[in-house]
Amino acid sequence: MTEPRSPWTLAVWLLAALLVLFVAGPLLRLLLLATPESLGQAFRDRELLASIWLTVLTASAATILSLLLGVPLAYLLTRIPFPGRRLVAGIVELPVVVPHPVAGIALLLFLGRQSPIGRMLARAGLEIVNHVPGIIAGMLFVSAPIVVSAAREAFRAVDPKLERVARTLGDSGWQAFRRVTLPLAGRGVLAGAVLAWARSVSEFGSIVILTFNPKVASILIYDRFTVFGLPAAVPAAVVLLLIALGVFVLVQVLASDRSERR
Amino acid sequence: MIRLEGVSVTVGRFALEQVTLEVPASGYGLVIGPTGSGKTTLLEAIAGHVPLSAGRILLRGEDVSRAAPEARRVGFVYQQYHLFPHFSVRENIGYGVRGQDAAARERRVRELADMLGLTPLLDRGVQGLSGGEQQRIALARALAPRPTILLLDEPFAAVDPATRRTLRRELAVLHEREGVTTLQVTHDFEDAMRLGDVVAVLAQGRIAQSGSPESVFRFPNSPFVAEFIGTGTVLKGRVERAGPAQPGAKDFAALFRSGSLALEVVAEREGDAYAVIRPADLLVSRDRSAGPAPRNRLAASVVRVERGSAVALVHLDASGTALVAAVTAATAEEMALAPGDAVVVSIKATAIHLI
Repeated sequence: MTEPRSPWTLAVWLLAALLVLFVAGPLLRLLLLATPESLGQAFRDRELLASIWLTVLTASAATILSLLLGVPLAYLLTRIPFPGRRLVAGIVELPVVVPHPVAGIALLLFLGRQSPIGRMLARAGLEIVNHVPGIIAGMLFVSAPIVVSAAREAFRAVDPKLERVARTLGDSGWQAFRRVTLPLAGRGVLAGAVLAWARSVSEFGSIVILTFNPKVASILIYDRFTVFGLPAAVPAAVVLLLIALGVFVLVQVLASDRSERR
Repeated sequence: MIRLEGVSVTVGRFALEQVTLEVPASGYGLVIGPTGSGKTTLLEAIAGHVPLSAGRILLRGEDVSRAAPEARRVGFVYQQYHLFPHFSVRENIGYGVRGQDAAARERRVRELADMLGLTPLLDRGVQGLSGGEQQRIALARALAPRPTILLLDEPFAAVDPATRRTLRRELAVLHEREGVTTLQVTHDFEDAMRLGDVVAVLAQGRIAQSGSPESVFRFPNSPFVAEFIGTGTVLKGRVERAGPAQPGAKDFAALFRSGSLALEVVAEREGDAYAVIRPADLLVSRDRSAGPAPRNRLAASVVRVERGSAVALVHLDASGTALVAAVTAATAEEMALAPGDAVVVSIKATAIHLI
């Protein structure tokens, strides 16, 4: 513990305050622009509303896919030893370190019509690039690691012996997972899903390469800023920021509930 | 009946090797061993939680080596209880009988709760309960589906001594009432002596010795077993023949030498050996002429006296060799033994077990 009013304490406070100001300042500045008039204007803007709706839908789809594919993977990585487990865990976390435009280019090469997979999907009627699935692919790429990581953490917190006890009490593997592990890990997985949804909503770098049109909110804001300037971008930015803040509050509530349960 | 035939299991770097053991139907078996000897792994192998690399497991006479845990119909109680934290006490106990109709389920839950004194807790959550209460709930939960086999992983390790005594008594009563074939692992030989029909000592993944608790205690087959189960003083030394073998018998009169100590023994072979001396076989006396004429009489001094409620352990120094004798607490009181006192210890040659 540091002494009150020592030079060291003052320095710590000053540095901490600087960072808080740096993070909160711009967001507050933007929020202060959210007058009833500007918000009213934003909610009458049909292009903006359509873009937000598209963002919400695609982010939700990406989150559901992240859960469907990520939760089993997290369970495998946590519970079942297999050769190459660490390698797989590393691969799944790679998107965290890949710059998002690079992710967009990689996805374009992997899922575009020039690739065998892209051609196969197109033949099956699923166009990725420059279509809504492209948005979902970009979002999935960046949000899946969040779900996998949160689910791994949540499964790690549940003692595997609980599942073993359930098995000796007559449960199959799936029943023990559904009745014991999932309810106990559920809140952690849900918190991960909310964060993944928020990350999907904020994704820009990969989507701008995969599917510029139809525009999700982040791309619409960027487009308006570059074409019409700052005043045109602000209302949309404010709405997106409010959505992000809502999600942030939800995650905090989930996290605090979890720590209280411990 | 639980029968293990050459069971081998590998978990990470740890391996159980060639474990063979049988607990008869309705019997009570105990596996004892130090921490890390593979006791829990052995139970988990029987329950089907870890695969076998070799051998067979037969439960109720049926080979279940490849069966899923839910098909083996065993009850399992872990040392740390592992109650389901998101369920009430009632739901925990009734977990294994969910398939039954509500009335039958409630009857079974109540029956076990009454038996184990859990009825007032049924509607509570499991957080905040004492170790003894949680252990009883875990036991009731394991017994609810009426398994014919019960596996107990150090069930008394995490409770206080008073609760341990109560639980041990309750478990003995439950075992008698429910007639469940039970295999318990423990590091406490006291459990084996009080509960077990069969005991096996596990050391580094192998069965070091198995048999009735009495035979393992009286005739340990290695210094490790003798020291681990606390049979008594283990002395390293050498056996020298002192007389001819009796006609028709393998054994002969011999001297066991360990440091400056020479004890008359009855041996079956000469050479390097360990002598195990049980505390109860050492007679302590202040009078040099007292005692029922045993062969070995040694002068010793009292190092310290460890008084228990019924038995006192007298730690002795006999010419530089540490010995431990057991006397009744009343005898210790009468003799007023104190550190530094000169005494005579006597032991029959036939009471010294040679390994």
